[in-house]
This record gives sequence, C-alpha cells and structure tokens, in this order.
Amino acid sequence: MTGPAIQVENIAYSYGDLQAVKGISFDVQPGEILGFLGPNGAGKSTTIKMLTGQMSPKSGVARILGRDITKDDPEVQAQIGVCFEEKNLYLNMSALENLDFYASLFGIKDPDSMEVLRRVGLAERAKDRVHSFSKGMRQRMMISRAFINKPKVLFLDEPTDGLDPVTSAQIRATIKEEAERGAAVLLTTHDMFEADELSDRVAFINDGEIVALDTADNLKLKYGTRSVKVRLRDGDSVREEHIALEGDGSSARLAELAASPNLMTIHTEEATLENIFIELTGRGLAG
Amino acid sequence: MSFGLTWKVLRKDLALGPRSPFFLYAIILPFVLTLVLQFAFGSLFSPQPRLGIVDEGSSAITAQVEGMDGIDLTLLEDTEELRTQVEANDLDAGLILPAGFDAAVKAGDKPDLQFFIGGESLASNRIILSVTAIDLVRELEGGSALVAVDVVDFGEAGLPISVRLVPVIVFYALVMAGIFVPGSSLVEEKENGTLMAMLVTPVKSSNVLAAKWILGTVFAAVMAFVTLGLNQALGANWLDVFVVVLIAGALSSMIGVTIGVFAKDSTVLFATVKGLGIFLFAPTIFYIFPDWPQWIAKIFPLYWIIEPIWQVSIMGESISSVWLELTVAVGITLALVPAVVWLARKMQAQMAAQ
Repeated sequence: MTGPAIQVENIAYSYGDLQAVKGISFDVQPGEILGFLGPNGAGKSTTIKMLTGQMSPKSGVARILGRDITKDDPEVQAQIGVCFEEKNLYLNMSALENLDFYASLFGIKDPDSMEVLRRVGLAERAKDRVHSFSKGMRQRMMISRAFINKPKVLFLDEPTDGLDPVTSAQIRATIKEEAERGAAVLLTTHDMFEADELSDRVAFINDGEIVALDTADNLKLKYGTRSVKVRLRDGDSVREEHIALEGDGSSARLAELAASPNLMTIHTEEATLENIFIELTGRGLAG
Repeated sequence: MSFGLTWKVLRKDLALGPRSPFFLYAIILPFVLTLVLQFAFGSLFSPQPRLGIVDEGSSAITAQVEGMDGIDLTLLEDTEELRTQVEANDLDAGLILPAGFDAAVKAGDKPDLQFFIGGESLASNRIILSVTAIDLVRELEGGSALVAVDVVDFGEAGLPISVRLVPVIVFYALVMAGIFVPGSSLVEEKENGTLMAMLVTPVKSSNVLAAKWILGTVFAAVMAFVTLGLNQALGANWLDVFVVVLIAGALSSMIGVTIGVFAKDSTVLFATVKGLGIFLFAPTIFYIFPDWPQWIAKIFPLYWIIEPIWQVSIMGESISSVWLELTVAVGITLALVPAVVWLARKMQAQMAAQ
C-alpha cells in the first residue's frame, strides 16, 4: 500500500451537546510518529476511539490503510495495535497467557510472545500472573500486547502516563523501534518532552480542534524566540542578559560578552512545545 | 460471525473460569444445598435397611426381596459369612433359607427359619426387615393376613418434601451456573476494560456474547444434571433428562447474558438479579405447595424449564410429554436474542464514552 497509513478528513464527534472533536484532519505516513499533544479533555482519546472503531464519527471520513473505518472491517482490525490509557489486562492470567490469547485473536498460530516480552523486559516474569505486576510492568505489558500482531498502525494513548523515568525511557525506545520497523504511530500525550523526543510531527489539539500541526523544530522556529540568555557575575550577584539573534548589533554584543571574564553561562532560549501550546491556546498542557 | 473467534474467547473463559469465585460457587452450591436439604428433609443419613440372604434352594422369597426398592439386598453363599457381616453391622439382618424351604412351607410343615438381627442396627430397620420377612413367608404359605390394617395418612398426600425440594436445588444450579457465571463474566470484562481490548481486534461483540452464552448453557446443563444425579432424580431416561437440562441451560444462560449486557457494573448486576429474584424463583414454590393453583406458575419464564425437568427426571415421563414446555422455553430464548443485540449496541456506545 502507498499513501498514508492513517488518513483523517474532517471527523467530528459529540457527546450529546458537547462537541468533543470538531472536524479535524491529519494523516500519518508508514514509519512516522505523530504526537497528538493536548491537555485532558482536548479530544485526543475520542479521536483514537473513532480511529480504532470503538465509536463512529458523527461526520467526516477516516481511513486506516486505505479502508473506511466505519465499515467495521476485521482486516483493518487485524493490522492495528492499540495501547489503551486504562490498563485493561487479564489480571488472573499470566503475562504469557495474555499475549498468547490476544495473538490467537489475530489468527497468529505460533506467536513469539516470549520475544515480545523480552523486548519490554518482562521475559523473566512471563509465567507470573499480571495481578502481581507493578504499575510500570503492567504498562510494559500493555505496550507488548499492542505489538503482538506486528501492527502496521499503532495507537498509543498516554503510553507513559504516571511512570518512572526509567520505565518511560524503555517504552519510548520500544515505540521508536516499532516506527523504524515501518509502523505508523499515533501517539497521544500531554507530556511535551515525550512528544518532542518521539514525534516526527506534532499536532496540538485543544477543545476538539487541531490548532497547529508540524514538526517540532518548525513549530519552535515559527512560534519560538531566537535568542540567547547570558549569565554574568556582577560583583556578589548574578546578572542575566537576553540577546535576540536577529537584529543589528546582536553578534557584536554576543562576542563582547563571550570575551568577558565575568561570563558564567550562555543558553539558547528555544521555545518548548508547552510554551508554544500556551501561546496558541492560552492554556497549559497539564490542565 | 466467526465461530473460530467465538471458540477462542470461549476457551479463554473456560481457562479463567476456575480462577473465578462465581465459577467455584456455582459448582459448590448444588452440593451444599443437596446435603443440607437431604439432611433436613430427606433420607441421606437414614439409609435403606440392609438384608443379607443365604439361599440354599432358590427360594421365591429371595426373588421377592430382589424386586423391592426399599431394601438393600446382599446375597451370600456362606452362613458364617452372613453371621459375621451382621455382627459387624455391615448388614442390619440376615436370613437363611434352607433347601426345600418353600416346599415345606407350602406343605404346612412349619420349618425352622434362622433370622439374624444386628445389635447395632437401627430399630426402624429391624422392624421393617422382621415384618417384611414374616409377610413374605405368609405370602408363600398362601395364607391371608390375620387382621385388616386400616392405614390413615396424616399430613399432605403425594411426594415427600425431599423430592419436592429438588426443583429448588436445580433452580439454584441453573441460576448460579446459567445466569451468574455468564452475566458476571461479561460485567467483569466491561469493568476491567478487557472487553474493549478484545473489540479493537478482529473479535466482534457477537463473538464475545456467543462465547458467554455457550459457557453458561453448558455449565448450567452440567450442573443441573449433576444436581439431579446427586438427588437420585435422573431416572432411567437420562438422555432425555440431558436434552431437557440443556434447553434449561440455554434459557438460563440467555437471561444471564441479557442481564450481563444490561448491567454496566457489578452493583447493577447484583441489584438486577436480586430484583428479578422472586420473579425467577416463583415457579419452584409451586412444587413445594402442590395445593396452590398451578396455572399461576406458568406466568413465570423459568416454569417452562423447571416443569420439563420435573416431569422427565423426577416423574420419569418421556421427553415427548413436555414438548410444549420445551418449545416455549426455546421460544423465550430466541425472543431474548434481539434484546441482547439491542443492549449490546448500547453497551458498546457506553463503554466507548467512558
């Protein structure tokens, strides 16, 4: 198949009078990670639920691997992997039994569940029941379950939410491997660092609308400030100076400060994705 | 609908079943109820009188005792062995019928008859066996009874209460295995989100519901069958009985799936079953109180499965005698299918909105 793995045109959804998703459009190419960045209630999960067939869009068209998602097509379902925000595993089954069961639903006869568990660092606990797992281990199980059918399209809803930095880093590395394998990844998160680190492109979603969609670098370039912050010793205190990189005389002033014996540090003042989000929406990502 | 996927979901449910308290409860409950009710009203702890006979001449008395349901007969070859078993209380009484005994009695010779009584045997069993032995000899002699006994029944005529309670025990087996097991399994999947996790794979809700229904049907049928066996109510027509309990399981399980699809969580599930409790239980009361107008029982859906079980297993009727009841039961089962489909659509929308 050529063309986007996920193609969304003007899809909308409302819960009664509340319009959760207001006609958004985007696409995700094979091997690309699209970060869906937005605060809670922005419409990220609703979008994933529509794209995974859990609910039908009230309007608009969405295609997964070229097929209309409203057609309830088992062949499309066989090609997707979903990692839910809620940890919905069979707690009374072992890690291996969980993966083998889901693999069987995809028609995989000899699943390599142990290899998948090895990738997420759970091979040694393969035969333990999931109820004995920590929060981080359960999340790794969720990720491994999403990968069991080697999906062409991956939907990951807040895959590292509430996890410790080490587990988060492990999960991010695994997501990158999946994209390198060729999977199209739609990643929802309200963690700007995660979106920045993983995503090839980032979509900002707020109140059910996409307010910006581009690579993280382009967004920073477009909405950020090109300046540096210089810290200088000034007697017993520390003085800060912000120097815009555009404009007359900035290079000379920077060279002058760089030569100063009082120079302590020089930092670029690149905008973070959160800064840009606030600038565009007037609200933070955590809300 | 893919039968392969339904089978995979069912296989998972069967594997998870023994790890669920409901499943275990459904297995244990009929055993416990049988034990309790038989202890209270039945003959579980008062076994039949045990008679041993050493028959040295093919007496007609032996053949007569063999035909009696109420006596546990043991035939022995050796007089000493009979004596030993009676002394050890392995038998309540022992009878030695010498060769030519029948001919001697018929000729009016009044031959000797040795009758051993175990010292530890129950008084009621001794009386039953003694009187039975005397009656049989008199019958053999061809004489008439010395007195005419006028038997006056006190209490309700008809079947003993221990038999009339069998539908109650079977009802509980059907409710636990057929209604609670599939219903709670479905609700648990909803609460834990595992149902949604299945529905984003090639599995459809129809696969999941069919698997739960089959699970409940088979489990309820087996438990009802076992319960009837425990209560010695299988009769000779056990194949007919199995067909009847299979249909009973199918209806119970369909009710269980309907409640499971309807209930959004365990609280609603329990409240619904409790709310429906008397409505479901009502027909069994009419077997305990046979004087009540029996037509009222027909108002309740489970009458149409309890009555065929009663007729075929307990009363020993053939399956053809309950075709109307079974047809109605199958009809109710099929009528619930559209309701389940409609509720399933609502359920999926509710789950997605959470």
